[in-house]
This record gives sequence, C-alpha cells and structure tokens, in this order.
Amino acid sequence: MSGEEEENAAELKIGEEFLKAKCLMNCEVSLILEHKYEQLQQVSEDPMNQVSQVFEKSLQYVKRFSRYKNPDAVRQVREILSRHQLTEFELCVLGNLCPETAEEAVAMVPSLKVKGQIAIVMSCGLLRYDLVLLTFFFPSSLAL
Amino acid sequence: MQLHPRFFGQNLRENLVSKLIKDVEGTISGRHGFVSAVTGIESIGKGLIRDGTPFVTFPVKYRCVVFRPFEGEVLEAVVTRVFPNKCCYSTDYFAEAGPLKIFVSNHCIPDDMEYQTGDMPNYTKSDGSVRIQKDCEVRLKIFGFSIDATEISCVGSIKERFLGLITDPGAVA
Repeated sequence: MSGEEEENAAELKIGEEFLKAKCLMNCEVSLILEHKYEQLQQVSEDPMNQVSQVFEKSLQYVKRFSRYKNPDAVRQVREILSRHQLTEFELCVLGNLCPETAEEAVAMVPSLKVKGQIAIVMSCGLLRYDLVLLTFFFPSSLAL
Repeated sequence: MQLHPRFFGQNLRENLVSKLIKDVEGTISGRHGFVSAVTGIESIGKGLIRDGTPFVTFPVKYRCVVFRPFEGEVLEAVVTRVFPNKCCYSTDYFAEAGPLKIFVSNHCIPDDMEYQTGDMPNYTKSDGSVRIQKDCEVRLKIFGFSIDATEISCVGSIKERFLGLITDPGAVA
C-alpha cells in the first residue's frame, strides 16, 4: 500500500495520521480487549461466538506478546517511556520489544539514532515483571 | 450507518451501536488495517432519510483499535508453518502476528540456518544452537505488505542482527 510518500518506519515515514494517532503497546491493547471480552461474557454465554476472528486473533496475540500484565506496571512503563522525546510509534516499539542495549534499541527503532543525545530508562524493582535498568546516551557523533 | 425503521424506538442508539460494531469490527480498512475492536462512540449525528427508501443514515463518529503493519517495522510473531524452498519465489515459512500473515522466504533467513525435515520440520543453525519450528516466537522485520478486502499479508525477514528466535523475553538468537 503506498501513499503519496513512500512509507518507511525506520525513518518514521508512517503518514501524518499515524504520527499523530495514539499508538498502543501490546500490553495496553491486551487490557482493552480483555475488558471488552469480559463485558461480553456478562451478557452472553458464548462470547467467542460474538466476536470476529480478527478480535480473537488480536486478543490471543497481545496476550501472548505482552511483556507486562499488571495494569499498574503497564501505566508505569508508558509513564517512564513518555519522559523522553519519543514519538508514539517509537515508544510502542520499545515497549513491545524491550531492547536490552542501546545497539539493539537502534536496530529496532532506527529513527532513534538521528535524535542525538537521548536517555532511555526502563526501571526494575517497582514493577512486578522483569525489566532491565537501562540508561544510555547517544553522542551525536557516534556512527551507528 | 444505515438503519431500517424496525430498529427505531427507545433502543435506537443501542441498535445503532450494535450494528456499527457488527459491521465494522473485524473488517479491513485500506488505510488503517484491521479494525480489531470498537472502543467508544464519540457522537451520533442527526439521521437523514434516504430518498425513496425507509432507511435512515446516521453519521457516527467512533473510536477503535486498529492494527496495521508498516514497512521497516520490527515486530514479534508466532511461526505457523515451516517448509522447504521449492522455487525462487516460494515462501518458506509462515508466521502470524495476530490476524496478520507474514511470509519469510529462505532468502531472508540467515545463511547459517538450514531446513531440516521430519515430524517437526524446522530451520536449525549450523551449530545447533538455534531451532525455529512451528509455534516458536520470532522477531522479524516487515519488508512489504499488501492489503485486500479479506486479509493483510506481509513479507518479513529475520536476516538482520537482533532478529530471529526469541528464546526468552528480551533475548534474541
């Protein structure tokens, strides 16, 4: 599918609409879809019959690939990642993939390397599930 | 949304919302990808009777969760099938990221991984340290996709650094 400008997530060319839209991490989508499914369970004996295959597959996927299950942990992850100058898209890719090193983060989200000095911190201890304490800086002169 | 008069009455709004969810959830938008779930209604405008019919059209603004791939995006998926390359353009394994189908050709698999036949066909690294088979979780990069009325399918690769088998959260082969 091509728009007026060729899309390329590595350069954050994802269209104005998606750059401005609210992006959600898998763990956030999991909370939304599970909540919707629970509401359906209250009104129907067989909620799986009420939902589309897309909903079912999406729910299974986000449940399987959510790094954080606890709603407080999910909120904290977004809060921590939001402290840095990241677009919604970059925030969500980092939140989904949880890179362990600066090198891995840039490989997953190449648009980070053009940002010059940035600090990305994922804190552990406060959150129930294992996160890595990670602080690193990108000197703008470093070629990656 | 278009509604037949039999749905008018006290439950008009409820009927409109149910119809919206039924018509829209699970469909594919050329621009936005899969519409996974409607999450809320922002507004329902005044209905307009369609000339010559009893149907009334209501403009409805709603919020929903959509899912679509982007070229160059890295994401995680589950391997659903593994099979050997038989011709230049055949795809060598299928993976799924929810409703999204991803095809990975053996040209996009690292050179040191070889196809192994058997009850559980798989791709194994030459030193035996990594094995990709059905139901494994992999991290891959999207290199192209196509959207039609019934599905969105992509072409992916695990050939670059930090891509491939996910052995535990945060680690890749």
